[in-house]
Amino acid sequence: MTSAIQIQNVSFAYNTKQVLHDVSMDIPAHQITAFIGPSGCGKSTLLRCFNRINDRIPGARITAGSIKVHDIDINRSDIDLQELRRQIGMVFQKYNPFAKSIYENVAFSLRVAGQNKRATLDEIVENALKSAALWDEVKDRLHASAFGLSGGQQQRLCIARAIANQPEILLMDEPCAALDPLATLKIEELLMELKKKYTIVIVTHNMAQATRCSDKTAFMYLGKLIEFGPTMQLFENPKDPQTEAYVTGTFG
Amino acid sequence: MSQEEISLSPSHHRFQKRGFSCEKAIKYFFASNAGLTIVILVLITIFLLKEGLGFFPGYQRELEVYRIAGLEFVDISRKNLTAQEQLTSVLNRAYYAEINGQAAREMKRSKEASALFNAYSEQTGPTRDLVVNNSQAASDPKSEMLAILKTNFEKQKVKALASLPATPHLEKNERADLIESIRTRAVDSTEDPPLVAALAAELAAAQEKYAVPLQGMRATIDSFSSAGSELSSLVSEMTESVTATKEKIQGADILEKDRKTLLAAAASAKDLAEREKLTSEATASLAEKPDVEGPIQRLMERRADCVKAHQALQKTTGGILAQLPENLRQPDARRLLKVARATWPLFIADLEKTPAAIHAWKYDAPVPLTAAISSFLTGKDWVTGGEWQDFYGILPLAAGSLMIALVALIIAIPSGIGAAVYVNQFASPREQGIIKPVIEFIQAIPSVVLGFIGILVFGTLLRDISTWDSLQWIPGFPIEERLNIFTAGCLLALMSIPTIFSLSEDAINNVPSAYAEASEALGASRFQTTFRVVVPAAFSGVLAAVLLGLGRVIGETMVVLLVAGNRIKIPDFSSGLSTFFQPCHTLTGIIAQELGEVPLGSVHYRALFVVGILLFAIVLAINATAHHFVNKMKH
Repeated sequence: MTSAIQIQNVSFAYNTKQVLHDVSMDIPAHQITAFIGPSGCGKSTLLRCFNRINDRIPGARITAGSIKVHDIDINRSDIDLQELRRQIGMVFQKYNPFAKSIYENVAFSLRVAGQNKRATLDEIVENALKSAALWDEVKDRLHASAFGLSGGQQQRLCIARAIANQPEILLMDEPCAALDPLATLKIEELLMELKKKYTIVIVTHNMAQATRCSDKTAFMYLGKLIEFGPTMQLFENPKDPQTEAYVTGTFG
Repeated sequence: MSQEEISLSPSHHRFQKRGFSCEKAIKYFFASNAGLTIVILVLITIFLLKEGLGFFPGYQRELEVYRIAGLEFVDISRKNLTAQEQLTSVLNRAYYAEINGQAAREMKRSKEASALFNAYSEQTGPTRDLVVNNSQAASDPKSEMLAILKTNFEKQKVKALASLPATPHLEKNERADLIESIRTRAVDSTEDPPLVAALAAELAAAQEKYAVPLQGMRATIDSFSSAGSELSSLVSEMTESVTATKEKIQGADILEKDRKTLLAAAASAKDLAEREKLTSEATASLAEKPDVEGPIQRLMERRADCVKAHQALQKTTGGILAQLPENLRQPDARRLLKVARATWPLFIADLEKTPAAIHAWKYDAPVPLTAAISSFLTGKDWVTGGEWQDFYGILPLAAGSLMIALVALIIAIPSGIGAAVYVNQFASPREQGIIKPVIEFIQAIPSVVLGFIGILVFGTLLRDISTWDSLQWIPGFPIEERLNIFTAGCLLALMSIPTIFSLSEDAINNVPSAYAEASEALGASRFQTTFRVVVPAAFSGVLAAVLLGLGRVIGETMVVLLVAGNRIKIPDFSSGLSTFFQPCHTLTGIIAQELGEVPLGSVHYRALFVVGILLFAIVLAINATAHHFVNKMKH
């Protein structure tokens, strides 16, 4: 099994506040990897290191270790961030489509990359919306505002937007936190489809979701990776007592 | 327990409130403050409306008198006469532009030489006068004083010679000669230095030389100018008689008003004797009805003369256009001639229509109230305190306000929004800490100070810059008036930049950071994120900022009063972009300027109130629209 992201001894700090301590793991390609753990354990921070979106926050930096994608340390100063983020898409906790039409939301990443040919855009937008299982619901109102969609539809639109330029890896930061159970179910079904083409890393608070969708699960606590393994094993037969306590609901 | 039982229960139950608490008192205090502001606003509105709305009936009566007395009839002819005079002036300007344009070199040289000499004379003038005035005396104490005066003068002279203006079009040796001749010139000499005189003569010769090929044009202009003389004398003759009629009618109006006041007083008087006295006074002051019919009939008899005079004018005018030269060399002259050619058909058409208008005019046609309203809203003249007839048309003022607002916004929108985008999106915290307070500090400058700077520094600087040879390609340069639409617009831009900046910055800041984050996560650069996601999302807030800036610009008074030049005239749009360098007057400025001088309760006074109401309505509408956009942004 090839790994998509190699994390080696990563430590991370916001200014002087250390949030990640010596995390190492290999994220497998074309599988779904779930990060679980109590709030503030650093799982979102770790996810946000993968596309360096943490760079937006002043004072946030990796203090030790390396994160490698395609055997290149993505924290090197000569990395083309825009190209990196085209390869590693991201979906956020709260659905956040732009104040544009449905079509323009999906076409955004292509337009900023300089693609303006109408026919190409049409095709890619259609494919992305189909992949996100949204096409049938919106094909008649592509040029209407994205804010007219329901919450679940907006989140699927954000997924379509993230996969429009065919990334290799898709990062999802609690994608269902703001959705009702039915919309959540739809997204989970979608994840099953998407993992055929993309490597998916998902942060979730919902342990049931982790068991339903993920192939591998990482449990984090207080900025440390406590346990990482196949999902079934981690939930049914945890090696670490802390993991056991968390998955059985004794704390967290 | 039923409802009734609760209300009847003894008042000492511990759930029941008792007495008047301190909190309640504080609440009422705040409520009364809020209420007071509303009451004051309502009172202001009522006062404005009460004072203002009386304007229209008053103006209607003025227009009625204007008609009955025959002033309107005279204006039919006068309008054509004015048009003819204006055309003559345009042709004259073209003529001189052609000559002076060709003699430009001579003109500049002569101007520079005399400017240099004038600068010297201005500085040394007072001390020189002292020397000259005292040099007659010969006695000892006087001669001692004279010596002191002379040394003073010499000192002044050296100082003045050290700070002479530049003369880019004079040869070096010419300048040196000129300075030398000034230095060695006799104290009491009244003659110009030789070079100044020589250059003036050179200029005159050049002008004369270039005038030779234009002799035909000169003659044409002169014949056109004199073609209106018959009409002109007719108009001034009629003017006298109609003015007299008008005065009679106005006198009678005033008496009538007094009588009504007396009668009203009599009706409310308590005792009988008092009432009788007042009534008899009222009867005594009953004015004779002024004789309107006589003069107006005599005026109507002049109709044939008027028509004849017009026909004479028309006959001469018809051929003039063909006689004007086809091509002039100077661009300015060509432009002016083009303007004359363009307005010519209109002038001719007006002349052709005039006889019919003269015959159709009726002195007893009624003036409806709507005529007063439309004359106010669409009138092209704001003429007050004149001997002839007052007109209250707001177009020149509205045009001035709009032009200034246009200039101000053209400057303030890009710089205000640009600064906001930069500060919010790209500036380092250190830069933010400097730029924001500095821009907001502009707001603290009192507008009268800003106007003062506008007149003394900016206006003068702009006029000086506009004379630079390298900038002559800009339309309107060199500018004729130091105080004009552009100067006022620039200062108002400065005043509205803080408003636009702060509110736009707020709007951009209010865009959820999730948008920017999503955009960057999709591979957009900072720049793309700013301009494709953040700024569009802030659009309605930015629009509101611009509108509030506009409201501020329209309502600003002090700066425009000081800097706009205060010429009450619709800007001459035929001159293209240089229209922006013409002086103008504004809706706000006119109130500030004239309200202190008008008699209380007069039609003019009320007209200013209506302008105030109009401004109030405009600014209210702008602000309401802005709030609409702000609310839209908040969803």
